[in-house]
Amino acid sequence: MSLLSPERMRSADGDGYARSPGSYREMEAEPQRDSYNYVASSENHAVRGGDTPDGETNLYGQGSHSYDSPEEPNGSGDYAPPSLLPQRPSKLYFKPALILRGHKRGVAAVKFSPDGKLIASCSADCTIKVWDAQTGKHQHTLQAHLAGISTIAWSPDSKMLASGSDDKSIRLWDVASGRAHRTPLVGHHNYVYSVAFSPKGNMIVSGSYDEAVYIWDVRSARVMRTLPAHADPVSGVDFVRDGTLIASCSHDGLIRIWDTATGQCLRTLVHEDNAPVVGVRFSPNGKYVLAWTLDSCLRLWNYIEGRAIKTYQGHKNLKYSLGGCFGIYGPGRTHPLPPPLQLPRYDDDDSEYNGHAGQRQDQAAQPIAYAFIASGSEDGAILLWDPNKVKGHEGAVLGVDAHPTESVLVTAGMDGTVRVWRHDGAAAAREAEEAAKEEQRRAAREVALLEAPTPTPTTADVRMTDYETAEG
Amino acid sequence: MNLSLLDPFVLAQDLPEALVGRLRSGHSTSIQFSHRGDYLASGRLDGVVIIFDIETNGVARKLRGHTHQVQSLSWSANDRCLLSAAHDWKCILWDLKDGSRLRTVKFEAAVFIAELHPKNHFIFAAALFEEQPMLVDMTGDVPIKRTLPTVPRRTEAERETISEKQAAQDAKQTTTVIAFAPSGDHIYTGTNRGWVNIIATATRQTLYSTRVTNNILVLIRVAPSGRSAVINSTDRIIRTLHLPDLSGDSGNVDFDNPRLVEVEHKFQDLVNRLSWNHAAFSSGSSGEYVAASTFMNHDIYVWERAHGSLVKILEGPREELSHLEWHPCRPFVAAVGVDSGRVYLWSILTPQRWSALAPDFVEVDENVEYVEREDEFDIQPLEELHKRRLDLEDEHVDVLTVVEPAADHANGKAAGAGDASSARAAAAQFQMPILLDIEQSDSEDEVIAVGAGQFRRKSPGQGREWMAEVGDVVAGSGAGMGANGSGTGTPLAGASGDEAGGGGSVGGGRRNGGKRRRE
Repeated sequence: MSLLSPERMRSADGDGYARSPGSYREMEAEPQRDSYNYVASSENHAVRGGDTPDGETNLYGQGSHSYDSPEEPNGSGDYAPPSLLPQRPSKLYFKPALILRGHKRGVAAVKFSPDGKLIASCSADCTIKVWDAQTGKHQHTLQAHLAGISTIAWSPDSKMLASGSDDKSIRLWDVASGRAHRTPLVGHHNYVYSVAFSPKGNMIVSGSYDEAVYIWDVRSARVMRTLPAHADPVSGVDFVRDGTLIASCSHDGLIRIWDTATGQCLRTLVHEDNAPVVGVRFSPNGKYVLAWTLDSCLRLWNYIEGRAIKTYQGHKNLKYSLGGCFGIYGPGRTHPLPPPLQLPRYDDDDSEYNGHAGQRQDQAAQPIAYAFIASGSEDGAILLWDPNKVKGHEGAVLGVDAHPTESVLVTAGMDGTVRVWRHDGAAAAREAEEAAKEEQRRAAREVALLEAPTPTPTTADVRMTDYETAEG
Repeated sequence: MNLSLLDPFVLAQDLPEALVGRLRSGHSTSIQFSHRGDYLASGRLDGVVIIFDIETNGVARKLRGHTHQVQSLSWSANDRCLLSAAHDWKCILWDLKDGSRLRTVKFEAAVFIAELHPKNHFIFAAALFEEQPMLVDMTGDVPIKRTLPTVPRRTEAERETISEKQAAQDAKQTTTVIAFAPSGDHIYTGTNRGWVNIIATATRQTLYSTRVTNNILVLIRVAPSGRSAVINSTDRIIRTLHLPDLSGDSGNVDFDNPRLVEVEHKFQDLVNRLSWNHAAFSSGSSGEYVAASTFMNHDIYVWERAHGSLVKILEGPREELSHLEWHPCRPFVAAVGVDSGRVYLWSILTPQRWSALAPDFVEVDENVEYVEREDEFDIQPLEELHKRRLDLEDEHVDVLTVVEPAADHANGKAAGAGDASSARAAAAQFQMPILLDIEQSDSEDEVIAVGAGQFRRKSPGQGREWMAEVGDVVAGSGAGMGANGSGTGTPLAGASGDEAGGGGSVGGGRRNGGKRRRE
């Protein structure tokens, strides 16, 4: 239970959470980890927003039985290279900036467009909503799916969305007009659970409850290749940044790495505990994969050597496919994540191609940036980890995505809202000074990365009481 | 990023093995890989240019503007622009961002080959039918055409001794093939009398000439390194040439040295006396292998250049193959079928490694005695294990820094050119937009479904409505076609000596003529 510090508990009570900018609190680093008081929820949750009738949903439930109480990770986890410490912000302050309401049911996934201008969210209410990332203005509601939508993906040029639904189809949407492309991608025999665009936008990979991974040709809306991937529902798929590899994961506990060109399995990653894997993502540089498992762990794998090299804990993940992402922070935080191998630039001016060669400004020396890993949690928190410090700090939710260039996070949860979090630079600077002083006084102290007040799921009334009783 | 996971034996393979796929959209007549190797441009008999995405084997773009068979295609260095030359005496420069026509250049004769300058996509060189070759500058809206010389450059001594007849013959030559050196500063041309000329792009003066054969040259290609070329001629021999290093200051090159360009290998089939339709260097900057498609035969021959020996014969479909292209960075060959107009693809076959499917499986060549570890079956407390596992996780990870593989395969060709970095930077920036429903727009397939299992051939004019907007072309098309018919065979008929069995199909006559011209 004690993931949440007392302050956080209070901030999260009832309806007072997350509204005013002042309501966030800094959180002390060391969350005590006792055993989890996992209370099996009897609510009619749709798993990841899907319309699955209750009872069938508990595909994830098995995870809770095999769950071991998490070890206190290695006490002084402070092995970040000292050379990096001076410029490194010791804490991140994400303040709630926007709450986007409109979905009638749980929101299963939320994604920033690659150009950072839009946010798309998909929900069990069979709709996708597109919002302006800056103002939060609602732009479009995309309707055509006949069942809940579990997953969305932006095309690399930010013009198209792909969505996978429990109606077994994948649809492509023109974001500008808000209309569905007339040919859905049909072929899966069961709920589509995860989709990802290739970096060039010419292919889509999808994972489904039919245990297969399909690779689609976007242009013709036809299946290019089917991979007999897994022995249980496929819960996550992702493309590596140059598009040559695909990662898939499944409830059978395996993560597989596939060669896009030949469709062959190149690696299988499996952890000893064999916990169901519910999400997988390549790191921005493509060297690692990050996998969510239903033993409340996030593991970073070196897939080339086939080893799990980091385990991130602190969140609660026993039932849902939680969302998460890699993000960046640091002095040069306007520096984007490493772009996909070929950065699409459709909007550059055409002068160069009309004979007047314009010297294109080369990407300047990249400012220093640090990575964080963000994940939702079933107790309503959002957690950010420094990839090199395996301690969890905080906590919430089904969908999390980081802005490609700015310190902005967007999250979505079962309460049907989408929330935008902006990094508070002033507070961070203030805190950085203090932290620097403190650092001098007390070296080797683990520092909290993030404080985020809890966006409480509406369904969390029940949970709140759980917390209270647990606390009491 | 997949290189570190692939079987090194598969990676070490540099020759394609087997027919792995085919592409179809109309009747293709000429093909060209983009520099990055992710697209294949295909020019069709009906003048439409198709861009295939070879990752998906689907059509990425259709470019409509020619009214007759497309003869040659050339990509700009950043793969954003494509120059197409067709039998309608036109060259069109396309912008693949939106499929628009940036420039249209008309000639007074049919175009054999038009190749873009490697660094400036507003300059191209063209070899014309029975005309002097041209260097065209399209920077302005009105293209500036400059004539390139064909007459070989004779040394002083030769000039004095040359007979009048010879001089007259020199003057009568026409340039049949043309190619840029990778730097773009020089142009290699070949004539119908077997001469190879080196022409300076800036001054348009012939710097050097040598005669490699007495027959017509029908193909010249320069390897990305610029140090070798492959030449096909009508004497049934494919020659590879050593070229001088022209990339640096060309002042150092002694153009008076008669042995500046030398024949390295002569590839021929002495037994079957095959003649060759088309040839290509293998991937990589130097072109270790040479592949050639055969006339009146279904196979592709592959020779290696170190010893000049035949290393492979790729068996193909039951069809003669004409235009042949080797992928710029993979053991992957594409060739056009003469009769069907399909594009056939050869590549390597990669077997699934079963050990990849189960991480605790290992593939061993022979039986191995298993020695158990000392503590393998010890019972250890679960928490202890868990803790130990977490303690091991003290590795520093960097999830952001991108480490590019040392040998960047994807840019093999660009890297071979002198300006590796700039070409790569430019290439890295353009990405073709993804068009949906492009295949449904495939209205010019000759056969259309009219019911369950029933098909009929489309009426000739159908699906060509777009031509109306071309306007002037409609009027000129008849004349163009006539010249086409009469002109096509004349210079090269003896050359390839082929009359491909009369064709038999509706488009047969035109097709054969077209094919020969490209060869």
